[in-house]
Amino acid sequence: MFEDFRQQFYLNFVSEDRWHYLANGLLVTLKLTFFAVLLGLLIGFTIAFIRNVHDNTGKLKILNFICNLYLTVIRGTPVVVQLMIIYFVIFGSVRIDKALTAILAFGINSGAYQAEIFRSGIQSIPRGQMEAGRSLGFSYFQTMTKIIMPQALKNVIPTLLNEVITLLKETSVAGYIALEDLTKGGDIIRSRTYSAFMPLIAVGLIYLVMVLILERFVKMIERRLNKNDKR
Amino acid sequence: MTNVKESPLISVRNLEKHFGDMKVLKGITVDINKGDVVCVIGPSGSGKSTFLRCLNRLDEPTGGEIIFDGVNICDPKTDIDLHRQKMGMVFQQFNLFPHMSIMKNLTIAPMTLQNKSKEEAEGYAYELLERVGLKNRALDYPLQLSGGQQQRIAIVRALCMKPEVMLFDEPTSALDPEMVGEVLEVMKELAQEHMTMVVVTHEMGFAREVASRVMFLDGGDFLEENEPKEFFANPKNDRLKEFLGKVL
Ligand SMILES: Nc1ncnc2c1ncn2[C@@H]1O[C@H](COP(=O)(O)OP(=O)(O)OP(=O)(O)O)[C@@H](O)[C@H]1O
Ligand SMILES: [Mg+2]
Repeated sequence: MFEDFRQQFYLNFVSEDRWHYLANGLLVTLKLTFFAVLLGLLIGFTIAFIRNVHDNTGKLKILNFICNLYLTVIRGTPVVVQLMIIYFVIFGSVRIDKALTAILAFGINSGAYQAEIFRSGIQSIPRGQMEAGRSLGFSYFQTMTKIIMPQALKNVIPTLLNEVITLLKETSVAGYIALEDLTKGGDIIRSRTYSAFMPLIAVGLIYLVMVLILERFVKMIERRLNKNDKR
Repeated sequence: MTNVKESPLISVRNLEKHFGDMKVLKGITVDINKGDVVCVIGPSGSGKSTFLRCLNRLDEPTGGEIIFDGVNICDPKTDIDLHRQKMGMVFQQFNLFPHMSIMKNLTIAPMTLQNKSKEEAEGYAYELLERVGLKNRALDYPLQLSGGQQQRIAIVRALCMKPEVMLFDEPTSALDPEMVGEVLEVMKELAQEHMTMVVVTHEMGFAREVASRVMFLDGGDFLEENEPKEFFANPKNDRLKEFLGKVL
């Protein structure tokens, strides 16, 4: 039994340096998640801002419409489908880096969810804050950037980190455009060694460990933020 | 009160405010002179806050004009942000910025909007903090302070812009009873220094003692106004009599 395990382990990870598939895949997954989160942050923040300006002042009608369309489409379709459409349809005829495509797809996807997170963060700030800012003579824009946004951002940090966790797991479908991420790495090993158990369990464990670490981090940050609040 | 007859600091002409079909202010005309301490009283829902908030266009008037410093600030062409710098406002709920230290709360507007240097802004802030007895709290955060302390800071925050008029919307209504006094004391000192003030309040004692004029708002307009002694001793309007009967 133990001998069997040892042999399997050797076959799947050690022989022909197969562990490289996992290590390289992990790196791809981490990079992909990191840059997609950043792109999503940019998109989400911008959209939340536009929608908030529209809700409060009635300006930016067209931009607001585009934002709503974007949110509806992205949140109403599976991320895998979005990924494939971007890779095979939109960039179907041009040679473009797979990793870049994936970052774009997951970033655009995450942006829609982050936009909602920011929006609820902004809405959680009491009206009185905007009124106090405006009564001092700050413009709407100044009040948003100096008074509302910093508070909203602080409030949504834990939720945003949870979005990072979600995204980390969602990138596992990157293999659909043949990007060799962590999941794909395990799958490649499986197809070489014809044994599913070892590589797939290993992949699962690596995701689990990363998620657990991130969750610990979220808890820590939450405690920090609450401590500073002194309510 | 001033001896020389100069034009009023704020001149309200036919001010109207509707919320949808509901007419809250029905054509108010009133002058507020430099150095006036005007107390506005009236039943709940009569539009006292709305009147006050129209003065700096936190609520957008639906009709009439407000001449402040010789400019009609209801004109869409006027830069309201510029005029608001000269009108300090104090809210029932304090509305300090919880993510900033007290000092930052006090200096952010003068530094951003009036190009004051950090030294200058902080110097003036410390001066005012000293006068309200909170100099030692400059580096704390708003939520570490009691309600009364927060409201005193909120008054100082408005004063740091060196406004020409201060608008107060029930500044003591959200406070525990034992903290009302410390805030009223600060307002009283302000009045003694001839700050022009418009105060919406339920504190009849304060109105009687500090106001130069008391005005009764009900049914969308001021139904009676007088200097405080006469106002409370000899009310003429029936609605005012009824109101005073309830609150005194
Ligand atoms: N944004 C708004 N939309 C619709 N109605 C409003 C709005 N603000 C105020 N009102 C209504 O206008 C009326 C006057 O409100 P306001 O807050 O000015 O009264 P108030 O005299 O300050 O009352 P209180 O003593 O309770 O503070 C109320 O009937 C209120 O419901
Ligand atoms: Mg009110």
